[in-house]
Amino acid sequence: MSTTVLICDDSSFARKQVKRALPPGWQVDISFAGNGREALSAIEAGKGNILFLDLTMPEMDGFETLEQIKSRDLPTLVIVISGDIQPEAMARVKKLGALDFIKKPVDAKRLEQVLTDFGLYSG
Amino acid sequence: MIVSDLDEELRDAYQEIANIAMGRAADLLARLLDNYVVLPIPKVNLLERSELNMALGSLEEFDSVSAVCQGFVGSRIAGEALLIFNDTSFQDIAELTNFAGEITPQIELELLMDIANILIGAFLKGLAEQLDVSFSQGQPVILGQHLNLLDLANRDYGNWKQALTIEIPYRLEGRGVDCDLLLLFTEDSLEVLEGKVRYLLE
Repeated sequence: MSTTVLICDDSSFARKQVKRALPPGWQVDISFAGNGREALSAIEAGKGNILFLDLTMPEMDGFETLEQIKSRDLPTLVIVISGDIQPEAMARVKKLGALDFIKKPVDAKRLEQVLTDFGLYSG
Repeated sequence: MIVSDLDEELRDAYQEIANIAMGRAADLLARLLDNYVVLPIPKVNLLERSELNMALGSLEEFDSVSAVCQGFVGSRIAGEALLIFNDTSFQDIAELTNFAGEITPQIELELLMDIANILIGAFLKGLAEQLDVSFSQGQPVILGQHLNLLDLANRDYGNWKQALTIEIPYRLEGRGVDCDLLLLFTEDSLEVLEGKVRYLLE
């Protein structure tokens, strides 16, 4: 069974940009979510072994989503991809259990590096 | 050119691009004030001149505000950036910048200009980089201090009928600071802007 990847962002434009930045040839099943609530259901359904998570979203933002993942002990590895590049935002998401932080607009090389660093992808 | 309503795909893209530019500006402000800036979701609209007050929706009609505007132009795109401060914000801003004296209108003006320079400059730079254009900024102009919002909305912003507006209501966490960054793009700019964004959507 291949790894499942979930891209969560309220903007379809942003979701598309993240999908495009994934390493070509990475054998994964990709799903999408428009806010944190949808992401949590998708993870519970096994669709998010790896979660790319935006922070600024309606309904449930990225910070709250991370809190929920933590308190419910959901099985997912979270990489935050956000335009909120304040040092405080980065510190908060790491504290809430995110593996790493990638700033928007997402850069494919940086994304590949993060995936490689955490042993999630080997080119 | 008469522009019809924004289609959803285009609005979504403008919103995301604004989100990234807003994040850069907020980062600089947070560093200056050493206070986390709560990022909103930018509001993108296509407005008639008469609806300008609607773009200022996050402020109350009769609040006392102070405002700065700065024009920008480049790559066949032109517009105005307005920064509008609720006058109740100055006390907190002064505290955060460790200003201890009496907050006179002159001091308010200086704080307003400092923050306008940061927020407007960083936002436009973030926008220009993403769209691969370059803007020159005009001199910032004080629209007034202690105005109400209706005075501001009814001011003369030149001869236009319709504009693309992006509104970003910044808030400082744990503080009573409300400030609105409003970008207006002239109708002549819309075709170029749309072309640039469609290119990114491909």
